Amino acid sequence: MSDLLAPIRDIRLSTLRGANNEGVLALVLLVLIIAMALISPSFFTVGTLFSILRGAIVPTVFALGVLIVIISGGIDVSFAAIAIFAGYSTVRLAEAGGFDPGLIGIFVIACGMGALLGLVNGAVIARFRLSTLIVTLGTQGIFRGILVAYIGSRYIADLPASMSAASTANIISIRTENTDAFLHVLVVPVVALCVLVAWLLRGTIFGRGIYAVGGDAEAARRAGFAVTRIQITLYVLAGVLAAFAGVLHVILGRNANPQALVGTELDIIAAVVLGGASIFGGRGSVLGTVLGVLLVQLINNSLILVGVPTAWQRTAVGVLLIVGVGIQALSAKRQSKRVFVNEEAGA
Amino acid sequence: MSLDQKNAEAATLGRLNAQLDQSLGSFLATIRRERGITRMLVLLLLSFGLFALLKPAVFLNPLNLENIAIASPEIGILAVAMMLAMVTGGIDLSIVAIANFAAVTITTVYSGIAAQDPGQAAALMPLIVLLGLVTAAVAGLFNGFLIGVVGITPILATLGTMQILNGIAVVWTNGQTLYGAPEALTAFAKTTVVGIPALFLFFLLIAVAIAILMNRTSLGLKLQLQGANALAAKYSGISSRRVLMSTYLVSGLLGGLAGVVFIARNPTASADYGSSYVLLVIVIAVLGGTNPSGGFATVAGVVMATLTLQIVSSGFNALRLSPYEYSIAQGVILIAVMVFDQLRFRRSKPPKSRADTAPVTP
Repeated sequence: MSDLLAPIRDIRLSTLRGANNEGVLALVLLVLIIAMALISPSFFTVGTLFSILRGAIVPTVFALGVLIVIISGGIDVSFAAIAIFAGYSTVRLAEAGGFDPGLIGIFVIACGMGALLGLVNGAVIARFRLSTLIVTLGTQGIFRGILVAYIGSRYIADLPASMSAASTANIISIRTENTDAFLHVLVVPVVALCVLVAWLLRGTIFGRGIYAVGGDAEAARRAGFAVTRIQITLYVLAGVLAAFAGVLHVILGRNANPQALVGTELDIIAAVVLGGASIFGGRGSVLGTVLGVLLVQLINNSLILVGVPTAWQRTAVGVLLIVGVGIQALSAKRQSKRVFVNEEAGA
Repeated sequence: MSLDQKNAEAATLGRLNAQLDQSLGSFLATIRRERGITRMLVLLLLSFGLFALLKPAVFLNPLNLENIAIASPEIGILAVAMMLAMVTGGIDLSIVAIANFAAVTITTVYSGIAAQDPGQAAALMPLIVLLGLVTAAVAGLFNGFLIGVVGITPILATLGTMQILNGIAVVWTNGQTLYGAPEALTAFAKTTVVGIPALFLFFLLIAVAIAILMNRTSLGLKLQLQGANALAAKYSGISSRRVLMSTYLVSGLLGGLAGVVFIARNPTASADYGSSYVLLVIVIAVLGGTNPSGGFATVAGVVMATLTLQIVSSGFNALRLSPYEYSIAQGVILIAVMVFDQLRFRRSKPPKSRADTAPVTP
């Protein structure tokens, strides 16, 4: 009898779980939120929600770029260098030229630079088929070096007027008797970007191509995908996303510092991998990535609220990463064993 | 009769074939190795000659040469550890965190005991250093467990342990720099043997030991095979679990030794020391002829790559170029060497199909 029910149960469970364990992640998030609300009543406020969302703005855009690269089977550690390169150089350019290109102008200039730097990554990786980790490690050093050695090493506090205006703009501001809660306006373009990237991945041939390249580059080539072109394009896209995040970072931080964003790469990669993207490529979703970023943000935020020193954040993210990836690895192992057993039984 | 003869003939032919295969294989392996070593030797001499010509007064100063020899060991030992992980087809991002963790452990325990009784602390010094090495080895073993038993990709496993160890060290030290490393270690770092710093000899000793491990022991052979072809290794009865555990144990231990060198050279310890070393160490390992996707590496190549980069760094200093320009040079050298390798590799092989795909390894 139970055998008859098994398929139904399986279907239900797997739909709830999602293709990349998004359901599990959402459940973990929910449990964490409930636990936090029970431990500290001050947690469960609109203000906390808005501050977590604000904190997730830059990491989410970074994560989208990293997601694309990871789906294609690569790994990118140069995106933070690209981001600050584009963000800082744009401010520096406006300062040197003594003009304010306007918010759109700033994003266009920065994204142009990001595209160019991404093209360097993509061209080297696709043309010579080198290990993506090592190429981006190299370009990371080059980009950061060029920025500090030749473009500027000064901390700039006077942003162009359009940028400083954007830094204080909120779309929702709720005033209660003791606290004010603000939702920053930059949440809007980030949500739009998430939708756009999700559509790009699921709804376009290019997006399918990224999955195909990540699954098996040779198979993708034989299936008629232009692997080299897809790889170059996706690194350009990742560069543009990184540059976009760099400008967001400058706006939210209200300063341009060429030394900023150093060492945040691995946190982002951890969040993307937690979100169910496979480091071997071919798997991953925008929903999972957003949930992964929110999980890391929530953990960072809740540790402070519970009174755990911020210094433990690094350790917490490390443990989270190992547990998350470990579960994935073990279940993959079990699955491959099951396939093996089935084959044996079939034969 | 004729059937027997035929069988015998076939057997000899088979044996000959196998022999040929084997000698061809070892010949190819030698070429691969030699190529790395010769290339490194040329690069080493070129960079030395270049800076000696450009700034002879500063660069050829004995003090500068001694500085190169004293600065090399800490990076070199880490690079050898990274090479071991890379030979098995992995990577160890946690190696610098392990080194710092060991250094912080040694400094905290030592200064804790020394605060009560300096004499006892000095007497217990070897034990304290051993404790630091054991912590590092345990951290390495934990990496090996995650990679070999749980089956997590090396890059993610070591990324996680890096964060964990680094976080614990930050909490432990309150993010500050600790002073008070054992005096005996500091004294060791200052000694020279016939003009050569003892630390440099220590580095060479470790390099030789790892070279013997790689080329003369069964573990060395197994870990090279594991990296060259994991599936073949599995079917030849090699337990990848055990090989990976031992590899990361050894690389963790090397990280601990690098930590000891850290505090010997510069008697302070902090959680963030040498955070830029991860990139540098990967650059050195790849430059030294280590195949990033596993299987091939030589300790001699890595040692020479260490010296070369140290010479470039010191030469940039002599030319008054900034550390950022050195970081550009590192990136350019890394990518250039890999592209060069790839082109040579392609040219030496007849293009069977234009569609050959190198696995895009993370």
